[in-house]
Amino acid sequence: MNQGVVTGGWEFVWAAYSLTAAMFLIYGVSLFLRRKGAKHDQRH
Amino acid sequence: MEMPRVSTSRTPYVLLALGVACLLTGSYFGLFVAPAEEYMGNVQRIMYVHVPTAWNWMLSVLFAFGCAVVFLFKNDMNWDARLEAGLEVGALMAFLLCCQGAIWAKPTWGVWWDWDPRLTSTAVLLFSLLGIVALRHFVDDPVKRAIWSAVATIVASIDLPIVYMSVKWWNSLHQQQSTPQTVSSQFHLPLRVNAFGVLFLMIGFLMLRSRIAAMRLQHELAAPPVLTGEEAGELA
Repeated sequence: MNQGVVTGGWEFVWAAYSLTAAMFLIYGVSLFLRRKGAKHDQRH
Repeated sequence: MEMPRVSTSRTPYVLLALGVACLLTGSYFGLFVAPAEEYMGNVQRIMYVHVPTAWNWMLSVLFAFGCAVVFLFKNDMNWDARLEAGLEVGALMAFLLCCQGAIWAKPTWGVWWDWDPRLTSTAVLLFSLLGIVALRHFVDDPVKRAIWSAVATIVASIDLPIVYMSVKWWNSLHQQQSTPQTVSSQFHLPLRVNAFGVLFLMIGFLMLRSRIAAMRLQHELAAPPVLTGEEAGELA
């Protein structure tokens, strides 16, 4: 922070974007795996 | 009681692909093309993921509320499957929203978290959604589970207008709502493209999650097999 202006801060920007991408990716993969499991349960 | 149906359309996969494409494009413009904001500098670029997440999170809670109301009127288990999806996606997006907000708060407010009305009311709704998701895991009877979680969702949704209005009703550390009308025109493109990206992803997730819930409900609600006289004798 310099005279009321935030300087730098790219590490926070990358952290927010990476977290968003990671959470959407992990949730998408979890849905895919759970769908496979549910299909398997239905067959048996 | 209407039995749930499982759709096999490819629409959710198309929506997920569209969502990823929009997010990649919008994030490229947000990170490398749009100028840095005058006071917040590069940190303001977090807005291009935080604000679309907030808008779509509110839509997901509104969707869950709608599903709960329709289920209670129609007694159709398809709406319970959709409610289950809305609750889980709503909880995921609320958690993501709080994390993104904390990352933005540290360099601008100097703290990761503050018990400000906007943040507190969002956290209350996050824990309410998590509570209802947990409640659904503890109740074995699908009909009781559907009714109880529908009622709990309607009660929890009372917090949604409080979250939205909190920055207007109280003196909040959180800024006023960001919309294309309140931000500079140079920031519109990444904000709008990412908003559509998160919307498409969210709808794709809701559709896939509803299918999983519908498959489980079909299994739970299926009539028990009729035993022959010999089998019944063996069991006795």
